[in-house]
Amino acid sequence: MTQKETITENKQEDELRIGAFICECGINIAGTVDCHAVADYISTMPHVTTAVVNKYTCSDAGQAEIKKAIKDMNLNRVLVASCTPKTHEPIFRACVEEAGLNPYLFEFVNIREHCSWIHMWEKEDATNKAKELVRMGVARAALLEPLESSEVPVTDAALVIGAGVTGMQAAMDIADMGHKVYLVEQGPSIGGKMAQLDKTFPTNDCSICILGPKMVEVARNKNIEIMSYSEIVDVDGYVGNFKVNVKHKPRYLDIDECTGCGLCTEKCPVEVPYTEFNEGIGTRKAIYTPFPQAVPLRALVDKSICIDCGACIKACERGAIDMDQKETFSELDVGVIVVTAGFDVYNPEPNNEFGFGLYDNVITTMEFERLINASGPTMGKVVRPSDVKPPKRIGFVQCVGSRDKNSNIYCSSFCCMASLKNAQLLKEKYPETEVYIMYMDMRTPFRMYEEFYNRARDMGVRFIRGRPAEVTENDDHNIIARIEDTLTNEIVNLELDLMVLSVGAVAPESTETVRQILKVSKAADGFMMEAHPKLKPVDTTLDGIFIGGMTQGPKDIPYSISQGSACAARATRFLAQGKALTEGITAKVDDDICVGCGVCVPMCPFQALSVEDNKLNIITALCKGCGTCMAACPTGALQQSHFKNEQLLAQVKNVFAYGEV
Amino acid sequence: MANVGDMVVGYATDENVRSRGASGGLVTAVLAAALEKGLVENVVVMKHINEFEAVPIITDNVEEVLASTGSLHSVPVNLAKYAVGRKVAMPAKPCDVQAVIEQGKREMIDLDNTYIVGLNCGGSMHPITTKKMLVEMYDIDPEDVIGEEIEKGKLIFKTKNGEEKAIAIDELEEAGFGRRESCRFCTLKIPVNADLACGNWGVIGDMAGNATFCQVMNEKGAKLLENAIEAGRIEVQPASDKAIAIRDKVNSVMEDLGSYLEKEIFPEIPDEERMQYYMDQMENCIDCGACKEVCPVCACGEDSKCTMFHSLVDNYKMSMYHLVRFMHLSDSCIACGQCSDVCPSDIPITLLQSRFSIPSQRRRNYQPGMNLDTPPFFEVMLK
Amino acid sequence: MMTDKEWTPKIVAFCCNWCSYGGADTAGMGRFQQPASTRVIRVMCSGRIDPLHVFNAFLEGADAVLVTGCHIGDCHYVNGNEKTEVRYQFLEEMLQQLGLEPDRLHLNWISASEGERFANFIKDVTAKVKELGPSPLKPAGVK
Ligand SMILES: Cc1cc2nc3c(=O)[nH]c(=O)nc-3n(C[C@H](O)[C@H](O)[C@H](O)COP(=O)(O)OP(=O)(O)OC[C@H]3O[C@@H](n4cnc5c(N)ncnc54)[C@H](O)[C@@H]3O)c2cc1C
Ligand SMILES: Cc1cc2nc3c(=O)[nH]c(=O)nc-3n(C[C@H](O)[C@H](O)[C@H](O)COP(=O)(O)OP(=O)(O)OC[C@H]3O[C@@H](n4cnc5c(N)ncnc54)[C@H](O)[C@@H]3O)c2cc1C
Ligand code: SF4
Ligand code: SF4
Ligand code: FES
Repeated sequence: MTQKETITENKQEDELRIGAFICECGINIAGTVDCHAVADYISTMPHVTTAVVNKYTCSDAGQAEIKKAIKDMNLNRVLVASCTPKTHEPIFRACVEEAGLNPYLFEFVNIREHCSWIHMWEKEDATNKAKELVRMGVARAALLEPLESSEVPVTDAALVIGAGVTGMQAAMDIADMGHKVYLVEQGPSIGGKMAQLDKTFPTNDCSICILGPKMVEVARNKNIEIMSYSEIVDVDGYVGNFKVNVKHKPRYLDIDECTGCGLCTEKCPVEVPYTEFNEGIGTRKAIYTPFPQAVPLRALVDKSICIDCGACIKACERGAIDMDQKETFSELDVGVIVVTAGFDVYNPEPNNEFGFGLYDNVITTMEFERLINASGPTMGKVVRPSDVKPPKRIGFVQCVGSRDKNSNIYCSSFCCMASLKNAQLLKEKYPETEVYIMYMDMRTPFRMYEEFYNRARDMGVRFIRGRPAEVTENDDHNIIARIEDTLTNEIVNLELDLMVLSVGAVAPESTETVRQILKVSKAADGFMMEAHPKLKPVDTTLDGIFIGGMTQGPKDIPYSISQGSACAARATRFLAQGKALTEGITAKVDDDICVGCGVCVPMCPFQALSVEDNKLNIITALCKGCGTCMAACPTGALQQSHFKNEQLLAQVKNVFAYGEV
Repeated sequence: MANVGDMVVGYATDENVRSRGASGGLVTAVLAAALEKGLVENVVVMKHINEFEAVPIITDNVEEVLASTGSLHSVPVNLAKYAVGRKVAMPAKPCDVQAVIEQGKREMIDLDNTYIVGLNCGGSMHPITTKKMLVEMYDIDPEDVIGEEIEKGKLIFKTKNGEEKAIAIDELEEAGFGRRESCRFCTLKIPVNADLACGNWGVIGDMAGNATFCQVMNEKGAKLLENAIEAGRIEVQPASDKAIAIRDKVNSVMEDLGSYLEKEIFPEIPDEERMQYYMDQMENCIDCGACKEVCPVCACGEDSKCTMFHSLVDNYKMSMYHLVRFMHLSDSCIACGQCSDVCPSDIPITLLQSRFSIPSQRRRNYQPGMNLDTPPFFEVMLK
Repeated sequence: MMTDKEWTPKIVAFCCNWCSYGGADTAGMGRFQQPASTRVIRVMCSGRIDPLHVFNAFLEGADAVLVTGCHIGDCHYVNGNEKTEVRYQFLEEMLQQLGLEPDRLHLNWISASEGERFANFIKDVTAKVKELGPSPLKPAGVK
């Protein structure tokens, strides 16, 4: 321990007493950076009362040492040089606060992510850099000022965006804990992709049979207000006080009057050869209910094909139809937001992968789910598109749009299991059918999944390790897949009646819009990014906004539901406490310097600023502390607490030094 | 009735004002009428100290306004400060107008309450240079001068004993006298940014020399002119096509000259020499802050970002103060030249600033001080 | 002593808390090795980065300055980075006119997931600045 001075009796309030704690992080830092050399160097800086090396500063022992030093040595500034503030700043702020220090008198220096881990083979350079980084931190610490973060009341309501199985779970859990939930779904019914599936692995129970009751339960829950066929237009505010603008798209009927009886659909003369729910297989009318188990079970009009004949208006006994309906908007006040906006399946059509889009008898798994579904367009009879005949030889191609440099490098995780499921269903229904799975690796982690794979093998599903290098079609519209079986090193020309592409998941356009409205980060794979890959899997970096299910990346139903519940638990913390802390890091103006020029006013994206009587007025509750306004202020009157020009320039100046480090 | 876009030739009905006026005394008469009829509460005019110097004063006395006739080719001034919190009318050269508008953008003054009678300007001269020039080029004792005039590219001085002496401006400028440097490369000669644009260009025939050409630029200008007509202070007639053509012609000649001189005044400095050039130029700065103090577009008070983080202890290779100012003014500098005028170390600060601001403004097709449409700083502009 | 070692430039990188600082973190987590040239200064949003800070970094001795933030559309404060972009254009023009080599000032949008991109950026800039040598604004004797 390098301790320069002992405690002086008559300590002055203003006298700076900085304690520096250098973390070895096991060997994560100490393996590269000579932490003791850093501590020695820093202990020679003015105002540094103590500079200590810890094995793990964030451990109980490390934190206890900080607290003890604050008390014993009357430290009034604490600096920790360790990992990233993004995960550990709250921990140390709380630690110093417990010892009686204002949490904003804590300074964090990152010598792990920004130093030891990126200069692993240059120990000397890394040590010198660490010294400089800590020197910058000490200079900044000396200028830190205590700040108060204020408590704001939290509106006791949650917004859940997207009502797939994840969103439904989140909504129900929050509602069951006694809080109001607005469940906003862009489609005409809740349920998401799961409602479209036939059976679900690994138990092969009927998807809608287990989901349907859940959907009804959601609808019946007094605390949940479903807003179907609606979208988020704008979100304003901050944790505890979000203002949400929701657009309700016109269904062209009064949803309170419609009972979903279907009389209108019967009478509608327009029938078009596609349905969203059935993945384009089959037909639907211009006025329709999405599917028999839809919630809410209400009709809607597809205006793009409606011929305004009025047949439905006559048919409807309750006079529900209103062809002049316009979109409407609602303003919601909520305290927290959960995003569960799901996924899209990968579209192989643009590049005609494996002949998709060229040959009728190449389809996707999602289409197959509808084909084999008893309530699907063929009543569960598996037929092939070209001649509507039952296929005798069916092959599944794995990893389409996944694990592929040309599309997405990530594994979509559910598709191996989904194909095993569909292969089993085929074998159960049509035992004589030849079923092939063409794969790179079969991935079956988690309970009962490997057993599920073994079961498929036992049922006679044939596995070929390799994927078609060439796909052609013969005169009978059969598909010829040319594959190298990499286990036997043989080239196989597989003739199939139907080939099913096991497509992966991608982040859809509709969620990208939501992501941008909310300003949630995007991960490299295009899905929304969590605050921490391990420790905060459903949090975002934004207070009060959570993500779960497919929105956060590909996963299956059990995992999605777990995340839905996790989101609910994380979000409800705020609702249950009824209060949240706002950032102390806000804009402050020095009235003596401000000339009231108003340059800063249009800078603020949150309308926190206005000029009155030649002076700037700041509504602190609206300020989110971005700092954009101060960069514009020509007088320097406007400053951001904790990121004041003096503080930032002290860091800049201490990057440099005269002589050796 | 006066309408926006009208071009008239007019003069003061008061013979005394007309004859003493720079051209037709119209400007003085318009200002006096604005005060008399309560359009404004105060008027800013130039109070002569001598033939070469004048100071702006603010007055609510019509007599004082009437006494202020005549153009002084002295330096530009920061007129906006007289308009703070007041309803005023003021005469102003194009660069003065730009500065006033920039201050309006910064909410320092309310442009709705500020009436600006613009004066055409072919350039102004620094009083000290002028006196020296009189001695060296004209062989006239500055004390004897009673009048000056610019005609056909020549600068004419009249003396007590009725003599007149004319020398071509080119010749004077070649000898290092004549107009201030920033006036030479200025291309805004007619104050189209003012409420009225007045001058003697385009005054022809028997009117030449005793009438003022006046263009109504906006509603406020129309009000000013109408008010003076109603008050019986001025008489106007529509300008003839020929008059308008002549005014345009002279203006475009002057603009071309300005553009030509700009190339001369700002020779290209090769990339690798520029840094040294700026360092050399700023080497003698004594940090007096006079350039900041005098700047008519900057609204900052005594403390501002440029001074706050500038410390002599730093011993930087370049002045933090000047770098911050260059940036701060790069979109709003109007190159009026006042900072160069006041620099005790003779640093050509306007020229240095212009090397940054002129290209930045041109690239964005933006000229500061022309209207309120574009917000003030680079931070807010564009997009 | 580092006297016999190759000269390493000093680069000051301003990073926004939500994206580029996270990118630098992710580079660390992924162990993407980089030259030890860069010192990161964290601000909440790239919109906080004032030309003042950039000038000061150069005058203090920075061989290059990096202005970084979230990708356009991703700023956590709606559009702070769009304002950064406008300011940056002025700054870039000014420093170029001042005679500073263009490679000494960079603007880059880096998301929190783009660790490798961050590392490559540092590598690139460091290599370029190494070629240029110390900044002409660096005060004598400063390392
Ligand atoms: C072919 C196939 C077979 C599968 N089989 C199985 C299986 O057998 N077992 C299993 O466990 N998993 C299976 N899965 C995975 C399963 O489908 C997902 O895990 C699950 O659907 C994820 O649910 P979610 O709620 O996160 O997303 P989704 O089901 O996609 O729900 C998201 C909801 O959000 C809505 N939404 C989107 N954007 C917005 C917006 N901007 N505003 C409002 N609402 C919006 C959507 O309309 C949708 O209703 C399969 C997947 C596929 C593709
Ligand atoms: C420096 C200068 C250069 C000029 N160059 C040209 C030119 O090239 N071509 C052209 O057509 N016209 C030029 N003019 C305008 C012209 O001289 C007359 O001012 C104009 O025609 C109005 O005449 P008037 O008789 O109506 O003005 P007057 O009734 O004489 O009133 C003149 C008013 O201008 C004010 N004034 C005098 N000097 C200044 C000054 N330096 N700054 C601000 N206000 C001042 C006086 O206070 C007075 O209120 C110039 C004016 C100035 C001041
Ligand atoms: S820091 Fe300034 S611009 Fe940013 S939110 Fe606060 S007041 Fe608005
Ligand atoms: S920009 Fe600065 S001086 Fe101008 S009003 Fe805002 S705080 Fe005041
Ligand atoms: S938060 Fe990253 S640029 Fe604004």
